[in-house]
Amino acid sequence: MHWFESQLLTLYQLAEAYSLSQKQEGNDILNRSEQGRQKRTEFIEAVQALVNRVINSAGVTACNAYHEGLILAQSGTTPDTDALGAMIQESVRIAQKGEAILHLGEIQQIVIVGGINKIAIITVGPLTLCIMSPKQTNLALSLSQYNG
Amino acid sequence: MSNIHSIEFRRSHSGEIDSILRNLMSLQGVTAAAIIDSDGLVTHIHRDFEVNTDALGASVQIVFGAASKAARHVGHNLANMVICENTEGYILLAPVEAGFMLALVTEREALLGRVRFELKETIPVLKKLFVNFL
Repeated sequence: MHWFESQLLTLYQLAEAYSLSQKQEGNDILNRSEQGRQKRTEFIEAVQALVNRVINSAGVTACNAYHEGLILAQSGTTPDTDALGAMIQESVRIAQKGEAILHLGEIQQIVIVGGINKIAIITVGPLTLCIMSPKQTNLALSLSQYNG
Repeated sequence: MSNIHSIEFRRSHSGEIDSILRNLMSLQGVTAAAIIDSDGLVTHIHRDFEVNTDALGASVQIVFGAASKAARHVGHNLANMVICENTEGYILLAPVEAGFMLALVTEREALLGRVRFELKETIPVLKKLFVNFL
């Protein structure tokens, strides 16, 4: 498994741990509140850390994380953060419509390739990661090992 | 259910509410986090600048009241959150329980999605705390 895949796996596990902490039942609201906050912080801090690391990969010009189309973490330079957020939100929504029709399973990645740049969109729990690079960049190769 | 609780119970709940506000204050760009009661009085606040708490409390209730009316007028039922985008930052408001509101004040540099995500995830916990607390 290459570097980025292993990082994503960690994020999926942290997102799952947070999701489970939210579903806990019981009367001990104080403990559940603290645990939920702790799990959420672990997850979000890991997302922020990954966003900060991905930008060091060859060819990557920006890496952002969004929640429901609004910016949550960012590194590098994005021409219009809000517009990108709206676009990826819409892209994921449309892909999710196709998910049922085409039996794709849960949408994990979308790649949009333009004449100049391309964007990889990756869903992680409630968040969406977005990696921007020039069209020619081989993202699989660039992200295969950490270049920090 | 009786709403009479021991002082220790109230203290621990109040302590947890303070922890939640402290956690919200740790987010990039958040400059104030407050709980405001239905009369517009600030019951809990963490801030890193001087703010007129009476004015903040009153305006939060007025703004949220107006937004709630607007939501009802267009058939959207309840308002779950109000975001005011200002020249120098954002104000985010969300109802908690029994007329209590959570208000966050941020600088322009705040990551809106980050603050909104935290607010959305925090509200259900605050609701449970307030149900027990009141």
